[in-house]
Amino acid sequence: MQKYKTKKGLLIAFVASIFLVTAGCSNDDAASQSNESTEGSSTSITMSWPRDIGAMNPHVYNPSQLLTQSMIYEPLVSYEEGGELKPHLAESWTISEDGLEYTFKLRENVKFTDGSPFDASIVKKNFDTIMENKSSHSWLGVINVLEKTEVIDDLTFKMVLSEPYYPALQDLAVVRPVRFLGESGFPEDGDTSKGITKPVGTGPWILEDYKKDEYATFTRNPDYWGDAPEAEKVTIKIIPDAETRVLAFEKGELDLIYGEGAISMDSFNHLKESGEYKTDLSEPVGTRSLLLNTTNEKLADLNVRLALQHGFNKEAMVEGITLGIEEKADKILSTNFPYTDVEVDAIEYDVEKAASYLDEAGWKMPSGKSIREKDGQPLELELMYDKTDPIQKAMAETLQAEWSAIGVKLNITGVELTVQIERRKAGDFDVDFWYNYGAPYDPHSFINVVAEEGWGVSEAHSKLPMKEELNKQVDAALASTDETERQELYGTILKTLQEQSVIVPVSYMKKTVVYQNGIEEFVFPANRDEHPFNEINVSQ
Amino acid sequence: MISSVQMASKSKWALIISAAILIVFFLVSILAPWIAPHDPIQVNLAIKLSSPSWEYPLGTDHLGRCNLSRLLYGARVSLGFASLIFAASLGFGLLVGMIAGFKGGWIDLLLMRFCDGVMAFPNLVLVLGIVGLLGPGLWQVVIALMMVQWVYYARMIRGMVVSMKEQNFIAAARISGSSTGKIIRRHLLPNVLPPIMVMGTLEMGWAIMDISALSFLGLGIQPPTPEWGAMIQEGKAFIRSQPELMIYPGLMILFVVISFNVLGESLSERFGIKRRY
Repeated sequence: MQKYKTKKGLLIAFVASIFLVTAGCSNDDAASQSNESTEGSSTSITMSWPRDIGAMNPHVYNPSQLLTQSMIYEPLVSYEEGGELKPHLAESWTISEDGLEYTFKLRENVKFTDGSPFDASIVKKNFDTIMENKSSHSWLGVINVLEKTEVIDDLTFKMVLSEPYYPALQDLAVVRPVRFLGESGFPEDGDTSKGITKPVGTGPWILEDYKKDEYATFTRNPDYWGDAPEAEKVTIKIIPDAETRVLAFEKGELDLIYGEGAISMDSFNHLKESGEYKTDLSEPVGTRSLLLNTTNEKLADLNVRLALQHGFNKEAMVEGITLGIEEKADKILSTNFPYTDVEVDAIEYDVEKAASYLDEAGWKMPSGKSIREKDGQPLELELMYDKTDPIQKAMAETLQAEWSAIGVKLNITGVELTVQIERRKAGDFDVDFWYNYGAPYDPHSFINVVAEEGWGVSEAHSKLPMKEELNKQVDAALASTDETERQELYGTILKTLQEQSVIVPVSYMKKTVVYQNGIEEFVFPANRDEHPFNEINVSQ
Repeated sequence: MISSVQMASKSKWALIISAAILIVFFLVSILAPWIAPHDPIQVNLAIKLSSPSWEYPLGTDHLGRCNLSRLLYGARVSLGFASLIFAASLGFGLLVGMIAGFKGGWIDLLLMRFCDGVMAFPNLVLVLGIVGLLGPGLWQVVIALMMVQWVYYARMIRGMVVSMKEQNFIAAARISGSSTGKIIRRHLLPNVLPPIMVMGTLEMGWAIMDISALSFLGLGIQPPTPEWGAMIQEGKAFIRSQPELMIYPGLMILFVVISFNVLGESLSERFGIKRRY
């Protein structure tokens, strides 16, 4: 009996504790919700991000996130709408006649968050540590041609190049590695590649609290030199799964979801149609293209490349697969990049034309077969795609079906992203998906990979009859100091590339944003990697 | 007394129903090319994500392909390859189990310790590892699943052979001069096979789950070939607007796997065989 009683007592205690716990939960929920809604009106923004923000070191790459690096650290020049470069930490600059010397006049009265002044010596110190690890930054053109840096006076800084390279300023606008860490953030040996002591920047945001894989909070920098952002606080919640992000947003835990591929297109449309939230699409951030590798004999023939381009209904494919979020692309580079306003003839969907091009190229349809042949060889190609990317996969399946109608057998192979990149670099592919780099990297990074070997794009163009000339034009364009000459060179290069159809533009990719009604205005940053928080207006 | 009769009739019905469902699925998978209304890989973006109609009884997927046809063809892949895995691992398990059980000694020791080693790992982890080494593709998945499944058959057969070879009828056969091959063929095999087939029925369900799981992860069958697990993966992007894209193939897997399990359970009840778990 005694035993029974204790058991009963335990049971009661257990049940009671469950009640308590659940009651606690609901209280918590209510509290946090009301808390958040009041916070929402007191100018705090909560956003989700798929990955942990990583070390907030301005001079390192993954897993550090560009978004948050750009909140703390600032560039000398900033990249604005349409590719215009505006003074940022540098108030003005002069470039010598020969295009080799860049002299920057630094902004006065800029302070790091540790109180130390932003001056030429700290700029040089940052450049020095970047140049110490030159090999890890060699993808950035300006690093390769940078000969030396000099402190002229307190607020004047000079950069000397070994050869003229016009996109040097664009390269300084990128989020990493050429941004500036304050004195007290440097480790003792001054080498930031192994880590920094604390994130000290000049930017509008200060990292306040951070828990790995959970959240990071930023507060407004009270001593910021420029226009203070409206919001006082930004919280970034790490939510890896896209559907979970949408659910959290619908529950009101997030004020916005922003980014490329941050939510599925289906969810985006769903939220848009619900009418309860605001949604927006950015200008094109890059072009989704197909790369036809001319080192494959079959694709070395221009007629075959044109036939493939005529042979699929681009508009229906883009509209159907991206649910209208991406836009059909006729130009290799979208015209919101500098120097890209080039006349092109769009290659329309035309199965008959595709067939006649293939006939002309000698690929005939043998009677009783469904695949074209030449000299007994079937017209068979392989398309590799990133198997974790649902859009690439759907497009691959569509192309396979569409090209089979013109007698081309397309084998599609889903591979890991790393394998895809490796095979592309090795030139070991027939057809591949490829994207240009976006702002502020393009168009100069784009023409650079067309000429520079090692990235797969130049290799894909290698059998073009005018390849050597093309390379020369690219070099000339990158070294040009004259604006009109540069414009002309870009025009010729883009025209050739467009006509040769090695790169087949498919669609213009866009960033998506969904936000709660509490946010009045959202402006996409012109620089693809930059954070959007300075421009967000929160209603009171 | 009554309850055991009820049990028996219940299990009889369970057996009949599950067997009937499976027969239907097997028929469908064999007849898919004739009964499917459309070509399962024909893309038609103009009618993507359309709702059920006379022409497309279950609607279409994100590329405008007929869902019903894809499900029917998907049955082919799941059941066909599960059967293949079953047959292959049974064959191999039979060989190893017989040798180990009949020969005994160090051969037995060696083979069984190897089996222990394989069984020490969770199945799916091992399969993922093997597929990782071989690269994605349906045949690689089949090989990987076969490589981990045969050990269960081998162990069970070995146990049965060891206990059986001491029995009188084997001794009698041996005394009357039967060769080893003949003893295995005429006396051991007929006794070993029925319980193993029952166990195999249960394993079939697992094989189907594993194939689907791997295809869902993108390791199994490669597009555009329809497969249930891969269809769930593709439907995942449309979970909000078209949840049925995930539900249809999910239901298929559910029905087939439950049927195999119920069939296996009720058969093993009849034969008095214990499951491996």
